[in-house]
Amino acid sequence: MRAVILCGWTLTSTCFFAVRARAVDFAHDVVPILRAHCGECHAGDARQGGLSMNTREDLLAGGDSGTPGLVPGKAAESELLARVTSTDPDFRMPSEGPPLPAEAVAVLRAWIDEQAPWEDGFAFKGTAYEPPLALREINLPPAQEGRANLVDRIVDDFWRERGVARPPRCDDRTFIRRVSLDLVGLLPDPARVEAFVAAADPGKRAALVRELLDAPLPYAEHWLTFWNDLLRNDYTGTGFITGGRRQITAWLHRALVDNKPYDRFVRDLIAPTDESRGFIDGIVWRGEVNASQTVPIQFAQNVGQTFLGINLKCASCHDSFIDRWTLKQTYDLAAIASDKPLELARCDKATGVQAAPAWLFAELGQVDAAAPRGTRLEQLATLVTDPRNGWLSRNLVNRLWHRLMGRGLVHPVDALRARPWNEDLLEALAGDLVSHGWDIKHVLETICTSEAYGVATPAVAGQPQGADFVFRGPLPRRMTAEQFSDAVWQLTGTAPAKPDAQVARPPAPGGGPPMVRAALVKGTALMAALGRPNRDQVVTSRPADLTTLEAIQLANEQSLAEEFARGGAAILAAHGPHADAIQAWMFTAALARPATAEEAAAARDILGAAPSVESVADCLWTVTMLPEFQLVR
Amino acid sequence: MLTRRRLLHSLSAAATATLALPEPRAWAAVGHGPVVHPAAKADAIIVLWMAGGMAAPDTFDPKKYKPFEKGLAVKDVISTFPAIPTTIDGVQICDGLPEIAKVLDRGTLIRSHVQPDLGSILHSRHQYHWHTGYVPPQTVACPHIGAWMSRVLGPRNPVMPAFVNIGQRLEGIGENEEIKAFTTAGFFGSEFGPMNLPFPEQAALAVRPPKGMEPGRFASRYEHFKKLVARSPQREFASDYHQESMLRSLDNAHRLLGATERDAFDITLEPKEVLERYDVGGDAGRFGRGCLLARRLVENGARYVEVTTEYIPFVHWDTHDRGHETVARLHGHIDRPIAALVRDLESRGLLDRTLVVIASEFSRDMITEGQPGSRANDQANSPKDFLQQPNHYGQHRHFTGGSTVVLFGGGVKKGFVYGRTADERPCVAVENPVTISDLHATLFSAMGMSPKTVYDIEGRPFYATEDGKGKPVEAIFT
Repeated sequence: MRAVILCGWTLTSTCFFAVRARAVDFAHDVVPILRAHCGECHAGDARQGGLSMNTREDLLAGGDSGTPGLVPGKAAESELLARVTSTDPDFRMPSEGPPLPAEAVAVLRAWIDEQAPWEDGFAFKGTAYEPPLALREINLPPAQEGRANLVDRIVDDFWRERGVARPPRCDDRTFIRRVSLDLVGLLPDPARVEAFVAAADPGKRAALVRELLDAPLPYAEHWLTFWNDLLRNDYTGTGFITGGRRQITAWLHRALVDNKPYDRFVRDLIAPTDESRGFIDGIVWRGEVNASQTVPIQFAQNVGQTFLGINLKCASCHDSFIDRWTLKQTYDLAAIASDKPLELARCDKATGVQAAPAWLFAELGQVDAAAPRGTRLEQLATLVTDPRNGWLSRNLVNRLWHRLMGRGLVHPVDALRARPWNEDLLEALAGDLVSHGWDIKHVLETICTSEAYGVATPAVAGQPQGADFVFRGPLPRRMTAEQFSDAVWQLTGTAPAKPDAQVARPPAPGGGPPMVRAALVKGTALMAALGRPNRDQVVTSRPADLTTLEAIQLANEQSLAEEFARGGAAILAAHGPHADAIQAWMFTAALARPATAEEAAAARDILGAAPSVESVADCLWTVTMLPEFQLVR
Repeated sequence: MLTRRRLLHSLSAAATATLALPEPRAWAAVGHGPVVHPAAKADAIIVLWMAGGMAAPDTFDPKKYKPFEKGLAVKDVISTFPAIPTTIDGVQICDGLPEIAKVLDRGTLIRSHVQPDLGSILHSRHQYHWHTGYVPPQTVACPHIGAWMSRVLGPRNPVMPAFVNIGQRLEGIGENEEIKAFTTAGFFGSEFGPMNLPFPEQAALAVRPPKGMEPGRFASRYEHFKKLVARSPQREFASDYHQESMLRSLDNAHRLLGATERDAFDITLEPKEVLERYDVGGDAGRFGRGCLLARRLVENGARYVEVTTEYIPFVHWDTHDRGHETVARLHGHIDRPIAALVRDLESRGLLDRTLVVIASEFSRDMITEGQPGSRANDQANSPKDFLQQPNHYGQHRHFTGGSTVVLFGGGVKKGFVYGRTADERPCVAVENPVTISDLHATLFSAMGMSPKTVYDIEGRPFYATEDGKGKPVEAIFT
């Protein structure tokens, strides 16, 4: 089709220039030049200097300078020609590499003089993927061999198509440890492990998942870490000192305990009550801040990143070079939360252009720019949580999948506009969230009861990179600082007496106060070393690797050493000086499995014939340093 | 020379290519656009951090002086210490720093370092700016310049931590959260972050077994661990990336804890006469002991070591009152140790390849808060017209218009002065102002790292100096 049109044009054009014997062929002569010499910065998603060459209209419109990119019929007056023929290194295009060959310049000159014809419908397409706004209805592939879980129907099909053999199921011990750490962040109790392994019920995995999700406090206090990171909430940190920051802890803890539906959860944060306003209130710094860091801009960035997986940080200073978001869109979103009229600042310089309160997807409706701030925020909350806004649900399920599987369906998780490795799966899970009343636990249950989640994790030789990635089951994930601390406290009985977080904690069923969890206390130096972030910014993932500096802390940090010492004494008191009883308990409590004969012998070596507080502490240390312990596998 | 435009030019394609990668990556590493690192003039850097705002007029940039007297007109006095000659002809510094005056001919003074006033002075915010090159708040966690060097250059000895931060407590002082916010590798991840050693005399403990554990027990615990790993049924994952990197880190840690390099952390191993040259004794000697520790760490392969007089609000250089008296005391904390460090590095043949930098987040003045014309709130009570009380005699206001940075070694000129502040108030930099970006560019360049080094984080370019714009002050290098 294209060839036909171009040939038609070629035939009707006049051959008048000397350089070439025939008329310029847009597709064959011009496109390759523009693509090779200009496309990297001015085609697809790239619009350096505000100039895109994606379409003829874009090129005519020119860039930030306001000069049209070219004047059809007048090569001599065209910016494009002036740029490619300039000898000024700061003006010349392309700005890097050798100048355009004279022949290419001649082609462009001739093309412009010829009215710069363009093929109808042709555009330099970017490689970036643009997700649809609304969720797509997915026709699930038929269940294979009765594997009816939504995830399995799609993943089984994916594996079949890719010729990937289904990985084997992991054993029950691996499963109970994995799913406990994933859903409640705790090591499974040894007795529960044995009961689970012994049970013959084929539905026992699903029952265990439900049991864990039904424990409100352990669930809430594990996922609190995930949400504190995402919502930039902490009990101490920058900003508090000058009253420039508020916690949302009490609200968040209760929302998790109550499993608040996600649409209402988001609504509470965007159009907040006094208890939940800390998120949109941002961090107020004393003195002047860069225009891209004012509280309203923080609002736009954080709403974009946390809820929608849309990165507006580039577009807080200038139109994004790598994304489609513009400075105006960021400011318009920010203006929804601003008390005062907002003037756009480009790279910290005022532009004279006023923002008009508006959000990113007018297709779903728009906020009333004339309404007061509170009303605007409510309107925004309604628009963001509109079930037709696929970004909200996709973004959450992608983050949950990332936590449970070690890698997002879209990866990295910060920008949802990369192509998911399986679009149908992302759509189906997002749809499942919405159709189940935005029930976060339902999504967790769907994923954790799938056979895809319950397989044995593969050994991974290196960090999977981009396009190479093929899903084969959950990847091993390093414990978070909080999971590690909780696990050590479980084993040693050394959890702090009191939480720093001001939250309501009902007593554990049939017992005393529940263990104080690491997510409820201020970060310690040890936790910081193990990757707990300063929550001055939204944080979406933790460091994946144990570093040498961290390893030094694990070897000799004083408070940790004391926890092991106190644990040694407690374990010795509970089990008596019997090496076999101690190692049997220790392996099951820490790894959810008994020691092998070889390991038991090694443990006996450490414990000695008459175990002491020190030898028990050392034995526990060696077990907790095992990669098997520190990885959720 | 690569212009910003050209950097951005190459960046978008590179950023697109790296969007799928979870780690920050130097786009130079993926084959787009050359970041050309300059030849290194120094292998290691020691930043001597005068935390809290060291007053240039009372240290390295003396102006007109008058001793305190009742009714002293503030307009008649700028410095509260008289000037003394140095080993550079015609260059004076303040009385109270006689030892540094004797070694000044080994160094360069930049007397025109300037900072923005940010509309309100909050030390931690200015310190964040000085240490990362970015004014907080920022959308991503910015790496400390030590973390940049750690990330880009790495340690000189694989057993040693690349980035060590000496003398600053991160707990139990004011604004500690704010200090922590920049005492970090930020988005580079903790591997490139600082090893924090708040008390130099206790540094050895950081690389020793925990208290109460005999070295023999500590070593055997690790041997037992290795046996347990070897017997683990998870040996099948031996090639697994996660497992392998975890075991390697544990091994590195135990190598340091068991290696001779461990001794680098123990200043008590120094001969007594050396220790005495650095240590002025007691709490006052903490900075000097830090300088000695820094020398030992650099000798053993650390890349970036910072020694601070420690930031505590209203303490040390943060003089809101009794400025003269306090600074007289601080002269005593820093004078002998800094001179000892310079001499010691020189006599060991290390000074040429070790850059020593004395710097602070800003200077101070008796009258101006921030910069002339600033809207910053005054934070001192001292009168601006006539002084009646001795405790009002001193530099009690934060001044960002001109301060001094002193550099020794690492390829800088010997006996050189760059830039100048006005001789009368306001003592702003009137010649060759050097911004934080430009100063960082200078330090990075000396270390063989381009100030335009850029990493991609969240699909966005992030430069070693803001927007890659920092320009090294070439004039100070030989």
